[in-house]
Amino acid sequence: MPIDLSEFKPAYQKWVEESLPDFRAGNMKEIVKKYPFIVPKDIPWKAYKGQPSDQTFALVTSGGLYLKQSQPPFDTASIHGDTSFREIPKTVRQQDLGIAHAHYDHSLAEQDINIIFPVQRFIELENEGMIGKLADTNYSFSYVNDAVTLVAETLPKLISRIKTAGVDVLLLVPV
Amino acid sequence: MGLIQRMAEEAGVWTISMGNAADRMAHIKPPRALLVKFARGSMFGEPGNVKRQRRIILDALAALQTMTEPGTIRELPYKWKQPDPE
Repeated sequence: MPIDLSEFKPAYQKWVEESLPDFRAGNMKEIVKKYPFIVPKDIPWKAYKGQPSDQTFALVTSGGLYLKQSQPPFDTASIHGDTSFREIPKTVRQQDLGIAHAHYDHSLAEQDINIIFPVQRFIELENEGMIGKLADTNYSFSYVNDAVTLVAETLPKLISRIKTAGVDVLLLVPV
Repeated sequence: MGLIQRMAEEAGVWTISMGNAADRMAHIKPPRALLVKFARGSMFGEPGNVKRQRRIILDALAALQTMTEPGTIRELPYKWKQPDPE
């Protein structure tokens, strides 16, 4: 069932108005408590078939990763968050990555990105034949509250790209 | 991330997600998920613990092949800075 935003939209607008003072003051617990989370009624499901050794995997994290040399950081100041995503190549090295996300402690991921975005482990499994391959392009989001733009604009674009890339399995790693 | 997972699975891509908060996951209703006992920002364990990172990914591959009920959340036994159970 497609995501129904008709109830979310007005609730979100109200939340933005009411939560701005708390957001500006950094009272994150308060604003999370009041956020009108979309609670789906059903669970989408595609029965799994085949073998990981024949399939293409891709990673998606919400850790706020971006390529320091070539991509802009995420917007970390807006209450809406940032609905865009960054494409991260599988060849990425730790030193290429910046982290733009104001609402978690990224000091550990700065030491070893594999704890939120395990590209190196997946490349090892690919080399051993345990998986078919890790997709050439993987993805990072950051902090997002604006589910309207996310669902209506960003996710169709993301899904079209992962389908075009022949991705069979998506592993999602929130922070 | 719940919305991303949902739309991807609906679009015909198999999905599995990591999580560390059972109450949040109950609201999100992911098709398949692994629950870890680690803090935010370190879903695959300690920095540099290659063996543990690998093991959790292998758990995800096994989950993909064995979970048959939509909404299955499997809790993993690993504890921060403690050895893996046998």
